[in-house]
Amino acid sequence: MATQADFKDRQFLAVIGDEDSITGLLLAGIGHVTQPPDNQKNFLVVDNKTETAAIEAAFERFTTERKDIGIVLINQHIADRIRHRIDTYTQAFPTVLEIPSKDHPYDPEKDSVLRRVRRLFGE
Amino acid sequence: MSAETETIDALLERYLALLDTYTQLRASLNALQSAMYQHLARANFSADRGIRYYGQDYYDERMQASRRISIGGGSEATTSPVLFTVKAPEPVTEARTTNDGRGKDAEGKEATLEKERDPKEETERDPKEETEKDSSSSSSPSQPATTKTTDEKKKPKSTDPLRWFGILTPLPLRQAQSSAISAVEDIIPRLASVSAEMASVELEVRRARKRRAKAEKEKEKKKVAELEKQIGGLEVNKNEEKQVIGLTS
Repeated sequence: MATQADFKDRQFLAVIGDEDSITGLLLAGIGHVTQPPDNQKNFLVVDNKTETAAIEAAFERFTTERKDIGIVLINQHIADRIRHRIDTYTQAFPTVLEIPSKDHPYDPEKDSVLRRVRRLFGE
Repeated sequence: MSAETETIDALLERYLALLDTYTQLRASLNALQSAMYQHLARANFSADRGIRYYGQDYYDERMQASRRISIGGGSEATTSPVLFTVKAPEPVTEARTTNDGRGKDAEGKEATLEKERDPKEETERDPKEETEKDSSSSSSPSQPATTKTTDEKKKPKSTDPLRWFGILTPLPLRQAQSSAISAVEDIIPRLASVSAEMASVELEVRRARKRRAKAEKEKEKKKVAELEKQIGGLEVNKNEEKQVIGLTS
């Protein structure tokens, strides 16, 4: 079980998504850039040209390296590109949530939480 | 039915209720997100000249989060092991805390940078810098007092990310913002909490199943041992019988 110390500093949401998803969520005021000289952003804008390695690195940074992130949001079609990482991710913090994007509606078949459900019922 | 099976059933029942909540929250998130995308598309369609696209070109490079998570739970009052909440702090206190959290060196640096900026940029700055300017302006008497008061008036508004895109933003963009805010403040933290609770119930179910399997194995072992004993006894009886038969013949 996670202890109090594990999550008391986790105050930011992080997003990996396409430009529109990020714009929308930043409009809600979740965007954060840390003080210089780090200037670490809590979001990654992904387009067709973005390398899978870059997505994986961002996922790694948000879930493992940074200790101030409580929820990681990721567009489902981008999560598909690093599916093995998402499916093997078991940490309690941060929580990873897949969200729909403009061009790719939410598919429950792919959702990592619902995949967990199927595993529990032995499918 | 064994006690273990009953606990597993109870856990699964709770799990299915959580799954139902999760699915409902998912549906609301989908609705909010698609509304947000539609509003955003409409804002882009009717964009004024000069604005190419409401996107990353306009993001403030020094943005500070105005909506933050607080994680609680684990108490007896809630069934959930973790409870996520996302809230926007009070604008005034926020300006104060961000200002306090900053080193003095950075402040001095900002203040010198401040002087080089043109007045047009001033409208788009975040409140932290404005408060810093306040402190610097109060220390230098050459600055007129009126700028200080106008800066103070702007303070709560200027954290709004809408300002990145200009002062008079189109209605669809504001609608996109309100959809995003309800997704971030309401649905996403609840989804995260439910997902965390589901994970903890999954763990309990797996543990209970293991315990049940262990108990069944031990039962089986006992049964086998008993059977073996009985068979052993039978063999002894047979031997005795043989001996008796041998004696009589």
